[in-house]
Amino acid sequence: MGALTAFFKSLFLKELFQGLAVTGRHLFVRKITVQFPEEKTPQSNRFRGLHALRRYPNGEERCIACKLCEAVCPAMAITIESAEREDATRRTTRYDIDLIKCIYCGFCEEACPVDAIVMTRIFEYHGEKPGDLYYTKQMLLAVGDKNEVQIAKDRAQDAPYR
Amino acid sequence: MLSDDAFKKIDREIAKYPADQKQSAVMAALAIAQDENGYLAQETIAAVADYLGMAPMAAFEVASFYNMYDLAPLGRYKLTVCTNLPCALSGGVDAAEYLKQKLGIAFNETTPDGLFTLKQGECLGACGDAPVLLMNNKRMCSFMTTEAIDQLLTELRADLRGQAT
Amino acid sequence: MLDIEIDGKALQVVEGSTIIDAAHQLGTYIPHFCYHKKLSIAANCRMCLVQVEKAPKPMPACATPVTNGMKVQTHSEQAVKAQKGVMEFLLINHPLDCPICDQGGECLLQDLAVGYGASASRYQEEKRVVMNKNLGPLVATDMTRCINCTRCVRFTQEIAGLMELGQAYRGEHAEIMSFIGQTVDSELSGNIIDLCPVGALTSKPFRFSARTWELARRKSVSPHDGLGSPLIVQTKHDKVMRVLPLENEEINECWLSDKDRFSYEALNSPERLTRPMLKHGGQWIEVEWQQALDYVAHAFKDIAKNHGAAALGALLSPHATLEELHLGQKLMRGLGSGNVDFRLRQSDFSQDGQGTPWLGMKIAEIGSLDRVLVVGSFLRKDHPLIAQRLRQAVKRGAQVSLVHSADDDQLLKAHAKAIVLPSQLPQLLAQVVKCAAELKGVSVDAAITALAVSEKAKAIAESLLSGTRAAIFLGNFAQQHEQAATLQALAQLLAKITGANFGFLGEAANSVGGYVANALPGADGLNAGQMLAEPRHGYLILNAEVELDSARPLQALAALKQAATVVLLSPFKLPGALDYADVLLPVSPFSETSGSFINTEGRVQSFNAVVRPLGETRPAWKVLRVLGNLLNLPGFDQDSSEQVRAEVLGAATPTPEFVTDRLANPLSDVANNVANNVAIKLDAGPNGLERVADVAIYSADVLVRRAPSLQKTRDAASPAARMNAVTLQQCGVSAGQELRVRQGEGQAQLFAVLDAGLPDGAVRIAAAHPKVAGLAAMHGAITVEAL
Repeated sequence: MGALTAFFKSLFLKELFQGLAVTGRHLFVRKITVQFPEEKTPQSNRFRGLHALRRYPNGEERCIACKLCEAVCPAMAITIESAEREDATRRTTRYDIDLIKCIYCGFCEEACPVDAIVMTRIFEYHGEKPGDLYYTKQMLLAVGDKNEVQIAKDRAQDAPYR
Repeated sequence: MLSDDAFKKIDREIAKYPADQKQSAVMAALAIAQDENGYLAQETIAAVADYLGMAPMAAFEVASFYNMYDLAPLGRYKLTVCTNLPCALSGGVDAAEYLKQKLGIAFNETTPDGLFTLKQGECLGACGDAPVLLMNNKRMCSFMTTEAIDQLLTELRADLRGQAT
Repeated sequence: MLDIEIDGKALQVVEGSTIIDAAHQLGTYIPHFCYHKKLSIAANCRMCLVQVEKAPKPMPACATPVTNGMKVQTHSEQAVKAQKGVMEFLLINHPLDCPICDQGGECLLQDLAVGYGASASRYQEEKRVVMNKNLGPLVATDMTRCINCTRCVRFTQEIAGLMELGQAYRGEHAEIMSFIGQTVDSELSGNIIDLCPVGALTSKPFRFSARTWELARRKSVSPHDGLGSPLIVQTKHDKVMRVLPLENEEINECWLSDKDRFSYEALNSPERLTRPMLKHGGQWIEVEWQQALDYVAHAFKDIAKNHGAAALGALLSPHATLEELHLGQKLMRGLGSGNVDFRLRQSDFSQDGQGTPWLGMKIAEIGSLDRVLVVGSFLRKDHPLIAQRLRQAVKRGAQVSLVHSADDDQLLKAHAKAIVLPSQLPQLLAQVVKCAAELKGVSVDAAITALAVSEKAKAIAESLLSGTRAAIFLGNFAQQHEQAATLQALAQLLAKITGANFGFLGEAANSVGGYVANALPGADGLNAGQMLAEPRHGYLILNAEVELDSARPLQALAALKQAATVVLLSPFKLPGALDYADVLLPVSPFSETSGSFINTEGRVQSFNAVVRPLGETRPAWKVLRVLGNLLNLPGFDQDSSEQVRAEVLGAATPTPEFVTDRLANPLSDVANNVANNVAIKLDAGPNGLERVADVAIYSADVLVRRAPSLQKTRDAASPAARMNAVTLQQCGVSAGQELRVRQGEGQAQLFAVLDAGLPDGAVRIAAAHPKVAGLAAMHGAITVEAL
């Protein structure tokens, strides 16, 4: 019985037509391929791209050098040095992220008690020579300054779930 | 800082305790110092502590703990109104409010003429006489209705004038 | 012994124990904040509440004495509920600022909040805010974080000896503060940082610079005073970030003096020397090690050839390691010179060759003494933790008597004090000897029996004889005294009569080690004093600022300036040396080299480098070894500091090892020496004004002089001419006036300060400070005139 069914199945190429039917159906379905970079896929507000350091609206940097992100980073990509600033507040004197080491897990953002280090939606960046992807505090702050509107919007959207 | 007379009084207090426990007299000594100067300045506390052979900080602990020691200059008359529960239920709060209004000052303030300082006090142990207030840590005034308060203030002002002449 | 059952486990404890003691004996942890094993019990944090059978309420484990048959539940429902309740109250006013708090990661409150804290607070009202206090340059405050456990208050009161902190006001307004406007000036103040269970008191020099979890912890030994406190040096990226005590009940208990704790700042000082330097035509140029060492070898060889090896001298430091001292002396002896010494501040060397001064007992035994006489010691400043042990002994009923030339408050209740001029010290001590001899019925030298005995001397002698375990200690001032040998002879005689232990409070970390390494002049050699009094052609200086560290700064400077070659091995570019030295070789401070110190009780403590040497710095023992090779001297082929140590101490030594069998306090022939010394010198009367010189705590060695935070403390204030009212009047000057002080050929300009604790005729001017480097000697006659 089994052998007979198998014989007819292979004789009439049933599996081939089944496959072709899928192909045929998709010939008429709406395409989902995007033409990157002209087109882009939609992003979640939780997208974990390039890091940024944020500031408060008054221009004061948020980071207080608690070093929790440095401690939690599984790839040890973050290097922080801290000192007392003239106004007696605790601040970083160095905040570097080695993007080559980074695995974009987002733990740094989760650990941050003041929402200073965040991950933006930016994913199209590159470096041309060694060291280009070693982001310093000034670079990270610049990323934050440039994208603050989007960053703030994303955080606001996600706030109810935190 | 302190007069010889004050130190003599302190000596009398010290004599009540064993010779190696002079600091037992700290409360009495601070009270004597306050009576003389009107309040306990930092230097006064240090002088008392030095006299009793104790650390200035230890004397300051005592002076700051008890609220009948005053660490800042006061008006001539310190009026301490009891605002603890029994007094409060029997008009202590009203008496305090009346005094505030009458003198135009809040608690822990002194009238601009330097005459009166108003303080909030703890139980004076005379709940039956409520509302009660204490004048300069020494004179107890009972049943302080608005009339009694008016009378007291008049009396104190008159007393002052009497002293001035 | 009492029977007690904790969490179902039965055990026996000694009478008088508390529940927390019993729990510790069992290894059961009871959460607590205010309890500390070395402090009195306050029981004010209430965190250690436990359930005791038949007790109606939870009881504080730290303050509840064990009774027979007691049954305690430390983690029962009731106990945990009580502990959680306490924690909720503690957190009500505690700010949620752990991310910016330096205590974060090593905070008792943080740790216990994880176990006992709720995830959210029910407290809706306004939190309490407490203003920060200025406690000085060492301790930073964030008083809002304070949970009022009063550990710091009890520390200043009980351990440091003066209640500089207190809990003022009450109830919700209670706050820890110093007496208005005052700083905490104790030489032990840094310990309150360790004691604080929260982040209210933190280290100012360390503030915000690192997190506890990023620091590597390495063991080391303090290079400062004779105690040799074991340290935990915390490092990050090859930089020393801070220093904490390593607990050792036999040495430092759990404390550390500020000098040991904060001197690490000097290790990162910009004054560090990182490359060898040569003076070339009056200009300093940086050179390679090879060139510098060749230069040194040639220069020494030339001097030895042209002027004889005796024209060379080595001035080593008592803060150098045993290995460095050994190789230093070996190098000199190899060259044929016996001129080696490390006792730069000593001026009486007549006891040389008669033994090795040491404590004469274990440090831990100090606490069990009941009669002590300390001769010539600025106890608190010279030996902060030994002073602390004596303070505790006094509390237990010991009588401590002091014989000295300055009545500094040692913050312990002295039984008897005799404060006399330096020149009168031997006579005073002789009076005590006479008195003790009379009481004991022993006969002593006629020169002593001829003396009139003062009341104070009598009180001291009576006190010494009335106890069962007595000790007599000679402090730094007595060891640096012009008649140190006489003082030693008398003190030892007194010890013999009274049956007391006799010992020296070692001046520096390796004062004993110098003797063991034989960094001393040989029979034909010159000692430190002679080497500078009779200038040499070449000097090898190790880790010392001779113009400050010497007993006669002026003479020292002149000798060094005239020398053809001065080679300085130092971790720092010493400003004075830039003038007189010819070669500067950068050598490692204690943090960058392995080595050993022998502390004043004869304990050998070896340590390893905690960080890599800075720049081209090399460990001094290696430098000396290579110098030995370059000079073709035999016996310079050690590969490790352990081998060098083995050369001195014998085969592989386990640590800690005591070398007490090699130590013997000088003067075995007491009677003879007394006869010789005492008779000659006892009649020396006061002659005009006399200088009393202390070595201020924060200018004692090369390292602390460069620790910026310590230099901001009150103890580091610039030296002044201190006199009592009588002396001031006698000189016709008043306090606050600027004076010209002349001594020998030198002079200095200082302000007059009234110091009631000095005898008439004494002018106290601290030594070892650049401002007074112009004065001739640490003792002797001095004149004062108003400017």
